[in-house]
Amino acid sequence: MSLYRLVYYSENRISSSVADLQAEVEEILTQSRRNNALVGVTGALMFSSGYFGQVLEGPQAAVEATFERIQQDPRHGDVALLEFAPTDTRSFDTWAMAYVGEDSALFAHLGPETGFDSDKITGEALFNRLRAMVATNAAVA
Amino acid sequence: MTNVKNSMASCCISELSFQSLCMLSPAEKLTTGRPSEGPDGSPPSVATTLHITHGVVTDVAGGPTDLFGGRAVPGKPLVDLLDEAEKFGFLPGGTAASINTALAARQSKQLLSLADGRSIMVATEFAAADDMTLHFVDVSFAVQMTLSQQRDVLTGLPNRVELLRRLNEHLASPASLPQTAVLYVDLDRFKMVNDTLGHPIGDALLKLVVERMQRLLAPKDVLARLGGDEFVILQAEGEQPHAAEVLASRIIEIVGRTYLLQGHSVQVGASVGIALAATDGKTPEELIKNADLALFKAKSAGRGTFRFFTDAMDREIQERRALEIDLRRAIIMQELSLVYQPQFEIDGNKLVGFESLVRWSTSERGSVSPAQFIPLAEETGIIDQLGEWVLRTACKEAARWPEPLTVSVNLSPVQFKSPKLVSIIVGALSSAGLPPSRLDLEITEGALIENTETVLLMLNQIKAMGIKVSIDDFGTGYSSLSYLQKFPFDKIKIDQSFIRSLETNADSAAIVRAVTALGKSLGMMTIAEGVETESQLELIARDGCAQVQGYLTGRPLAADAAAELISTRT
Repeated sequence: MSLYRLVYYSENRISSSVADLQAEVEEILTQSRRNNALVGVTGALMFSSGYFGQVLEGPQAAVEATFERIQQDPRHGDVALLEFAPTDTRSFDTWAMAYVGEDSALFAHLGPETGFDSDKITGEALFNRLRAMVATNAAVA
Repeated sequence: MTNVKNSMASCCISELSFQSLCMLSPAEKLTTGRPSEGPDGSPPSVATTLHITHGVVTDVAGGPTDLFGGRAVPGKPLVDLLDEAEKFGFLPGGTAASINTALAARQSKQLLSLADGRSIMVATEFAAADDMTLHFVDVSFAVQMTLSQQRDVLTGLPNRVELLRRLNEHLASPASLPQTAVLYVDLDRFKMVNDTLGHPIGDALLKLVVERMQRLLAPKDVLARLGGDEFVILQAEGEQPHAAEVLASRIIEIVGRTYLLQGHSVQVGASVGIALAATDGKTPEELIKNADLALFKAKSAGRGTFRFFTDAMDREIQERRALEIDLRRAIIMQELSLVYQPQFEIDGNKLVGFESLVRWSTSERGSVSPAQFIPLAEETGIIDQLGEWVLRTACKEAARWPEPLTVSVNLSPVQFKSPKLVSIIVGALSSAGLPPSRLDLEITEGALIENTETVLLMLNQIKAMGIKVSIDDFGTGYSSLSYLQKFPFDKIKIDQSFIRSLETNADSAAIVRAVTALGKSLGMMTIAEGVETESQLELIARDGCAQVQGYLTGRPLAADAAAELISTRT
């Protein structure tokens, strides 16, 4: 079974209150960790300035099914699929879904560089950023 | 796969109209206690018949597939028997309670779904106060039949028949009318997915589309598949038209998100037409038809959008139909005619030929613009007949001209879809006795967009006969230059939009210059159309254009007048 990696970002559609947002992100994480563990999907999720960025890796069919569930979720929109391709290795193999949270310092750095606010962001850039953030462990929940 | 089907069937049974099932079912005859043969002619496999007196089994008749595995014996209380059957797995959990409840309420029919997928009808005859006969009959076949008649096989959704039934049922209560909307959903670019990735992926995509739409529906809404990539939603409850608008927007957004299928990333869109039950139709058929009309408008507005039905749409379609009928008649009744606009060499004012243009006028409508009836003819297929008439008439009239000038005839892209086009052209020339070199066929880039290879093959045949081929409206398409490479056109006709803006727009002048230079180096003649002023003529002459056509040098003329002009000008 071939291993695939998928990278996307999307716009948050959850109501703007901070408490709501936190609760929803918690729920998204709980759900995705449970589902992902069952089907062998690993990855990382970030949330920043109104956007979600996520990497999924795992068997092709499992990644497709997981992404389909994500696509059906009304809590986000304007989903931009940046990468969906075979890969040799997992980069988040210990994480059913790592969460790198919303670290304003980190994102202040990320914002202008990879530009969540522009459409110049690439799958590679987002993937590298997430990997670096998980590696530093600083913001991983 | 089988499992999915079974679970689909069992979930649908509860939705089935009990009556419609009984109409198909051999169990219908059970009200008289005697089942006759099944729908396929075979005897129904009566699983078990129990006679019960004072709540105790007094008589048992087991069929080849005894439902109770031999546990139904005289003397056993029915309650115990049912409990045992449940315990040992002959009946699914909860069945005993529901049978007991039904019997207490003296319900004569009840449908059970067994774990193995079979459907069992419990038909009860209540003979006396404490005396009854229970027939447990396998009606799986009838249930399957009913399902297949009401359901779409691929998605398991209600089909058109079932949708109409549900709509009828729903519209029967006047209170629901103001809250009800019918949404006609059609996928954009689905055919392309099927064509490029194959039907298995197309089918998988349809299932995901259905899943996405279903998640957006309220419990009482009905989603039906009418075939292909066409769906209809009965929105049962909502504050209209707001609710329908919200649902349509959500469908367009969510269905339009990327799909991943077997390693492919697939994108389709959705267009939606909406009809409201309160105002847009009295019958289910009319509501669906009007939602479809609105869908047509949504599609022509650029897809990926929704439209509400309006009375204007209905009027428009009626008018269109009337126009279509009139146009078909016009061809037979000779209400059409051709006029000829002269074409000149740019220096010397030498007359070189005419472009034939079709005109239509009727006593009721007056003169109808070609911009109105040509697109209609193209959409309805009338263009083949109309195009042939134009070809024959132009050749015939040109053959009578005093000098052998060229006659240009426009061909619609649609005409290239007919494999008979080349022979129609040959026929027109030979019956008129016109030499092929005097005919100039004008085509637009539109002709080369689809089936390019086939069209090029036809054009090469045409050219090999000595007929001239020109490219019309040049510069308005998306890839004008690439077409010049594909076929050696005799003439490039620079679109009049560039000529009209020559004096005001420097870009237009640059384009005209570039096209004439291009024509020269490719060995193609260039002609400017729509020339209306002296200064435009000066500019195109300066820019190297070879020929001119327009109101300035000559308006379109009737056939006789054209012949007369030839006599005086050559």
